[in-house]
Amino acid sequence: MIRYAKLYFTCIKRSIITRLEYKRDTFISIFNFFLTNVASILSIWMIMESIPSLNGWTMAEMGFLYGFSMMPVALDHIFTDDLWNVAYWKVRNGEMDRMFTKPVPVLFQVIAETFQLEGLGELIVGVVMLSVCGSMLNIVWSFGAVFVLIVATVFGAVVITSFKIIFASLAFKFKRSGQLLQVAYNFIGYTRYPINIYPKLIRGLLTFVFPFALIISYPVEIFLFQTYSPYLIAGVIVAASCALFAISLLIWRALERRYESTGS
Amino acid sequence: MIKIENLTKVFKKPIRQEGVLGMLKTLFSAKYEEIFAVNHINVDIADGEIVGYIGSNGAGKSTTIKMMCGILTPTEGKVLVDGVEPYKNRRKVASNIGVVFGQKTQLWWDIPLIESFKVLKEIYQISDADYKERMDFLCDTLGIRDFLSQAVRTLSLGQRMRADLAAAWLHNPKILFLDEPTIGLDVLVKERIRQAIKAMNAKYHTTVILTTHDMQDIEDLCSRIVIIENGGIIYDGALSTIKHRFGDLRTVTVSPKVDYTVDGLDTFDGKVSYEVQESNLLIKFNADDIAMEQVVDYAFHTLKSADLKVSEITIEDVVRSILQEQETK
Repeated sequence: MIRYAKLYFTCIKRSIITRLEYKRDTFISIFNFFLTNVASILSIWMIMESIPSLNGWTMAEMGFLYGFSMMPVALDHIFTDDLWNVAYWKVRNGEMDRMFTKPVPVLFQVIAETFQLEGLGELIVGVVMLSVCGSMLNIVWSFGAVFVLIVATVFGAVVITSFKIIFASLAFKFKRSGQLLQVAYNFIGYTRYPINIYPKLIRGLLTFVFPFALIISYPVEIFLFQTYSPYLIAGVIVAASCALFAISLLIWRALERRYESTGS
Repeated sequence: MIKIENLTKVFKKPIRQEGVLGMLKTLFSAKYEEIFAVNHINVDIADGEIVGYIGSNGAGKSTTIKMMCGILTPTEGKVLVDGVEPYKNRRKVASNIGVVFGQKTQLWWDIPLIESFKVLKEIYQISDADYKERMDFLCDTLGIRDFLSQAVRTLSLGQRMRADLAAAWLHNPKILFLDEPTIGLDVLVKERIRQAIKAMNAKYHTTVILTTHDMQDIEDLCSRIVIIENGGIIYDGALSTIKHRFGDLRTVTVSPKVDYTVDGLDTFDGKVSYEVQESNLLIKFNADDIAMEQVVDYAFHTLKSADLKVSEITIEDVVRSILQEQETK
């Protein structure tokens, strides 16, 4: 355990040194993520300008929801970004060879490969949105509320990561699974709007199949409308994320063996 | 050290028809063609041996090596590396082996070389004292000290290959797999790499398995060669035995200045054979049967060649000769 923690920090240091080799590129990339987020916030704002409220939600509430959804997304983004590369090209190009010849689990090496600085930008956007919109809404930051926020952020990231692991590991079978992963990942986007505007089918999908509503939509309603018990929701999130993570590890382990490398 | 029993790897390849329509058809009818990349091979490699693993492109060399390193899982049969099956207990085997793929670097592309070594030190849990001692050894034998602080992407191919060899050896593996470690390198760098491999083998008793297309690599390093062709082993034994089995084969390359047809050339009672390669004519013969002088004389005077190159037997010639011998049996 201590060994892996030490190894992880060494790898992260390596990843940051890599990014600093190309300072301008890194700067532009962080700025790009910042712009992307500003643009999506503006687009929500423009929609809200033209309609009085969205199913009873005000602009401030929408902003709070947006900020809340950024938190687990940002955390996952910071720590597990290399899974995208696995899904899109690393398996297909035989780039995984070097990981398979090291005495460390392959998935660990994938996770330790990148520390995505852009994710920090997203985390900041999330925190800013939560505090600005939170104060506009006079949100009470009770112990239960903060607890839910932390659980939803950390274990929410685990849920997102689990989905990324499952879909990235399909690349071992299909050689390339980037588009599939993209489709699954895009479901997170739905949670940036209140879940009750969607038809039943989408709501069901977001609760039971791709449970992103569970980690974003329902916890937010605790803050805004005190609908659910925070501890119940936190418990469900922890249980669901642990189960999903275990499943994703099993799938990865089973499919990893099918890696075929490339001719050389 | 390594025991290969009945090892087989089958790749399933969908039978594709050409064109877009053909591609669409294969989506629905999943017919597969089975390709035996490695077909029931048996090899035993002892501790401290340097073995040359030879064959033409696509013969199954890399596939075998990838199964020995635990990258690929065999379809049938097994590999035992120091008593452990690599694809079943990948991590245990991985700490005992070092791998260099000449075509692909194992190093991190964007960071200074020394940073890659630091990560490897952590991955293989190398103690500070061992790390220091081995770095000194590697810097001396491979001459990598000068570019330790350069990013890997800025290294020349020769530098990168030396760095890759150092990275593969840093944890002092019992076995070193080298897949074409001298590909595309100049003579001096090749020589340096060979010296380093010899030094590692002598000082640390490292077992080395080496694939190459360079006869010189094999002559300098390997006491034993294993030849694979079409997934099967066609020769396993000493290099000297096989070289003498086919005699002292030579090829003289000339560019004749007179019009000629291959059939019209003098074969010296069947002792000489010819082959046309672009504008050149290859004259092949066994120097034990016919004097070199006679062939050269013929090339200069009768064929009016202005230039001439003499080359010794290549690995491809050896493989071809063995295959021919097997066919005639």
